[in-house]
Amino acid sequence: MAIERNEEQDEHIEQLWYMKEQKETSIDFLKKAMKRSFDAKIIEELSLRGLLEWDPKTATIKLTPEGEDRARQLIRAHRLAERLVADVLGGGDLESIACEFEHTVSLELVNGICTLLGHPKECPHGMPIPEGECCLQAIKSASSFIIPLADLKLGESARIAYINCKSDQQIHKLDGLCIRPGVFVKLHQNYPTYVIECEGASIALDADVVKNISVWKNFEEAGETLHHKAADKKEGFGRLKGFLGHFFKS
Amino acid sequence: MESKPNRILNVPEVKRMKKVALIGIPNTGKTQIFNNLTGEYNIVANYPGTTVEMRRSVTTINNKHYEIIDTPGLHCLYIHSEEEIAVRDMILAEAPDIIVQCIDASQYKQSLLLTAELLELETPMVIVLNSMDEATRKGVWIDSEALEGMLGVAVVESIASRGLGKEEIKDAIGHARKGALDLKYGAAIEQSIIELASELPFDLEFKYKIASLLLLTDPFVEKFLEKKYGAPRAALIHLETNKIRRQLKGNIRQVFIDRRSRWVDHIASLVIRKQKMTYQGFSYHFTRASRDPFWGIPIFLVFMAVVYLSVVYISGALDKFLDLLLVFPVTGLISSFPLPPFWKDLLIGDYGILTLGLFNAIGTVLPILSVFFFIFGCFEDSGYITNFTVFSKRVFAKIGIPGNAVTSLVLGFGCKTMATLSARSLTVPKEKFIAVFLIAFAIPCSAQLGISMAILAKVGISAFLIVFAMLGFCEMGAGMFLNKIIKTKEASSFIQVIPPMRFPSMKAVFRKTYHRVTDFLQEALPIFLLSAAGLFVFEKTGLLNLIKQMLTPLIVGWMGLPRDIVDVFLLAFARREAAAGLILKMVNAGALNYIQSIVAVVVTTISFPCVANVTAIAREMGLKTAIAMTAMIFISSFILAGALNWALVFMIGR
Repeated sequence: MAIERNEEQDEHIEQLWYMKEQKETSIDFLKKAMKRSFDAKIIEELSLRGLLEWDPKTATIKLTPEGEDRARQLIRAHRLAERLVADVLGGGDLESIACEFEHTVSLELVNGICTLLGHPKECPHGMPIPEGECCLQAIKSASSFIIPLADLKLGESARIAYINCKSDQQIHKLDGLCIRPGVFVKLHQNYPTYVIECEGASIALDADVVKNISVWKNFEEAGETLHHKAADKKEGFGRLKGFLGHFFKS
Repeated sequence: MESKPNRILNVPEVKRMKKVALIGIPNTGKTQIFNNLTGEYNIVANYPGTTVEMRRSVTTINNKHYEIIDTPGLHCLYIHSEEEIAVRDMILAEAPDIIVQCIDASQYKQSLLLTAELLELETPMVIVLNSMDEATRKGVWIDSEALEGMLGVAVVESIASRGLGKEEIKDAIGHARKGALDLKYGAAIEQSIIELASELPFDLEFKYKIASLLLLTDPFVEKFLEKKYGAPRAALIHLETNKIRRQLKGNIRQVFIDRRSRWVDHIASLVIRKQKMTYQGFSYHFTRASRDPFWGIPIFLVFMAVVYLSVVYISGALDKFLDLLLVFPVTGLISSFPLPPFWKDLLIGDYGILTLGLFNAIGTVLPILSVFFFIFGCFEDSGYITNFTVFSKRVFAKIGIPGNAVTSLVLGFGCKTMATLSARSLTVPKEKFIAVFLIAFAIPCSAQLGISMAILAKVGISAFLIVFAMLGFCEMGAGMFLNKIIKTKEASSFIQVIPPMRFPSMKAVFRKTYHRVTDFLQEALPIFLLSAAGLFVFEKTGLLNLIKQMLTPLIVGWMGLPRDIVDVFLLAFARREAAAGLILKMVNAGALNYIQSIVAVVVTTISFPCVANVTAIAREMGLKTAIAMTAMIFISSFILAGALNWALVFMIGR
């Protein structure tokens, strides 16, 4: 049952990561959080492997840099899995799927999923997803299905995948305007300001807001907002030319 | 109807007038509905943020009196900006008996998010689906009866701009009832809300809503509690909130947003149908062209030309007509009357109450203002102003004015006071300061702009262009300067809903013009008369001559203006239109040459922010800042006007 032991170790490491996020270091806190699954033997084992250090005098415990690396991988896989389930597979039991997922997938696969999802920064619960190599390189590879809203062509519609907002106020404001994951937006204009259409309203946005919004590329099957797309392809001069051409022909 | 005892006065409900608050996201027609319900008139326009202050009035429904409260737009109860705080604090503090939510039926989803929050207040509610005509055009069909069934509150269809639905709204207010909200945030969060609510003061209204806002770390709600219950109590609540929040896992903000959005989607999917294909007519394409970086320019120029030509020709004709009808006969009559010269001077002399007061106001200023107000009203109602904001934003951004402030600046061309108050929506102090200063600085308000156009048209179109280039230059320079010297990294991001453009209803624009003109007469006419009388006294006592002599080096030497322009400056203290009217008269009489006319218009445009504007600045920024700004503007106007004078003399000679 070696694998199971590993999973238990991973659970402890993860819990220590959560504690780090909450700036907690006491062993008591760990015991409380883990409840029955807390195992002193595992703590000892992990400490022997150099993944964590603990001090019986002050009753504190924390991950070593090596342990943090391991934890980061686990948390990253866990939260990316949640995103995958929530956004692509349309919801479900986030927690249990993510828990199985994190122990089984390889690093490459995690990076692949991260790229597919457009390097999201938060899990569906709003907790930060640790960055991986793929995020650091931040390659806009052709295989990415999620692109920045700003990269849409004028007149193109797309479904919003994520909004990585810097402030709570901004996300509330955008949400108040119905700009949120899952809705269709159409890019009308990108200069001098971005103008998008969303749920019947035209909304002007600054570039620094637009850059936070990522959309699904080629989500054509949902036809709701794609009416008279052809007419919209002609912008500015194109439309005038078309009009004049039509006029002279007749 | 459940009765609610009044806790403050401890009188039974019957004695108290019921309060009805009109709430809704911006540009959904709250003020129009307020006007329809109360029979009053308040300025309405087709851009978000027309209403900047709460207004109250009384209406009678079924022989009962109701106090109706009109409010500025509110996106959600979690606050973004100062003007929204005022609305929410009003709701929390006054606990209106009935909330009427205005929804733009063509943009229903944005409003439904607010509906969810308002229903959480557990106050009797009425929902008004306004702009049904716009919704039909956009192919949106709402089953209002089904919506009524789902929310448990009355849903009334309305086209407020045409006065439709008024009686139905009144009826619904008379029978308003509490709704039922089927929206859950999960056991853990709801448990926390209940736990926190039980810790809140017992006499607080909307405990659950306030508890959830506290959990969402809304800083303004803590301030509200501090104001109401004092700092120690607020600090205790803060501690309690933190304790309870710590027990919650994950980001509850996300959960709230998510659940609410899902609720909206669910409701919308059941009661709203959308056509897949709609015909987007002329207005749709025109709207887009008007904010297009290329097409926006010719459209803007054509609009400006229309304003210029109609102010010059239509008001010119009106002016002549009024002269023939009123000014000449009255002047003739008085001068042929056997009166002592003193009395003749007092009435129709150079500083006569009639000449400089009444005729100036009615004969000269009024025709120009009426025409200008009419055209400006058309622009407001068409929705062009917001589109112009988008179009011109980049230019403003170059000088450090963020997009949010541009709307306020553009509104300054209408009324600087209202524009200053609308700058309240700017959350970053630096941006607010720059916007308020620039509005007070070189932007001519509608009254001034109209009269300046009329003056400059007399001198020549090149003078018009020089003046507006100069004003633009001053404005840009001031913007860049302030942007440089005020150092903060904070910057707000621009998120602005653009209203659809529509052909303005002539009836509505006429009504608005009528109100603005009568307001002007009520406010300004006494001041015109008084200032003329004041000037008359100055002249008779010789004080005027003394002032003129003292100011000669500044006025004649530096600015190259004739000494008599002092009359204009003195009038400008009272009312800028009066000053501009006098300049127009001087130009007509040939007392000012080409360069002098230009300099005179520039200096009066910049120099004195009107009293209302200074008051507004004092309210928004504090008295000290208001005085400092006014002094700065006053001094710089003379420096700039002199510089302009010398530049023009140098370039084209005297």
